[in-house]
Amino acid sequence: MTRSWPSIPHLFFWFMFAQGGVLAAILIPVHVLVQGILGPLGIVPVADRRYGTWISLLGNPLVKLYIVVLIGFCFLHFAHRLRYLLVDLGIKAAKSVPAQAIFYGGAVVVTLAAIYIVLTTAPLSF
Amino acid sequence: MATETEVLPATRVYRRRLSTGWWTRKRNYFLYVVREFTSLPLALWLLWFLWEVQRAKLGTYHPPASTAFVIFSVIVLVFALYHSITFLSLAGSILHFRVLDRPVPSRLVVLAQFAIWAVASAVIAAVLIGFGTYT
Repeated sequence: MTRSWPSIPHLFFWFMFAQGGVLAAILIPVHVLVQGILGPLGIVPVADRRYGTWISLLGNPLVKLYIVVLIGFCFLHFAHRLRYLLVDLGIKAAKSVPAQAIFYGGAVVVTLAAIYIVLTTAPLSF
Repeated sequence: MATETEVLPATRVYRRRLSTGWWTRKRNYFLYVVREFTSLPLALWLLWFLWEVQRAKLGTYHPPASTAFVIFSVIVLVFALYHSITFLSLAGSILHFRVLDRPVPSRLVVLAQFAIWAVASAVIAAVLIGFGTYT
């Protein structure tokens, strides 16, 4: 009798998907509220409203790491959800390997872009 | 009675075909599709956020202040809250813990998730607004 082991890739992708969902749920609403609504309306002062404060915040290594983690996990989650949404809506091509390459590859490309942007935008400051 | 030498008809799998508008028939189906769709506006808003980070390295940085951007953010916020509420509520069904050999009630798990959400939101808002007041 052979002993069955959990599929490691399956475990890995479900972990990434679940973490992306949790991070999107916990972190995105406050960013949208503060940076997308309260800041532009002038209700509260927000770091991204002025060049000096925004570049100062972006120079912090923890903020750089935070942005990469936020973008990376969330986009893998979004890629998986949107691909399966298309499957649910009857688009069979969304199950294909090229579709998987486009969706998950797209998430990886955005993550790599995020890494490049945070590393080149603001000099490190502590 | 079938013998081993008889050729049995090939097994056919019954596949129920769904019409393209299946998700409009029941409220629950519609809400499920909306829940999955939330990813798109959230992804668009995060792309804008990344663009804002990228723009910071330009010398001529102007923060967004248009009405259209605020309306876009309000729409995204509705989808973001829907994603948060539905996703964090699922935690009670997915996560199972035992403390002192007793299972933790699912309502407590969900409450803990919402508490983490509230604390994280307060911390991030404090950082964004705190740095905004810092000169």
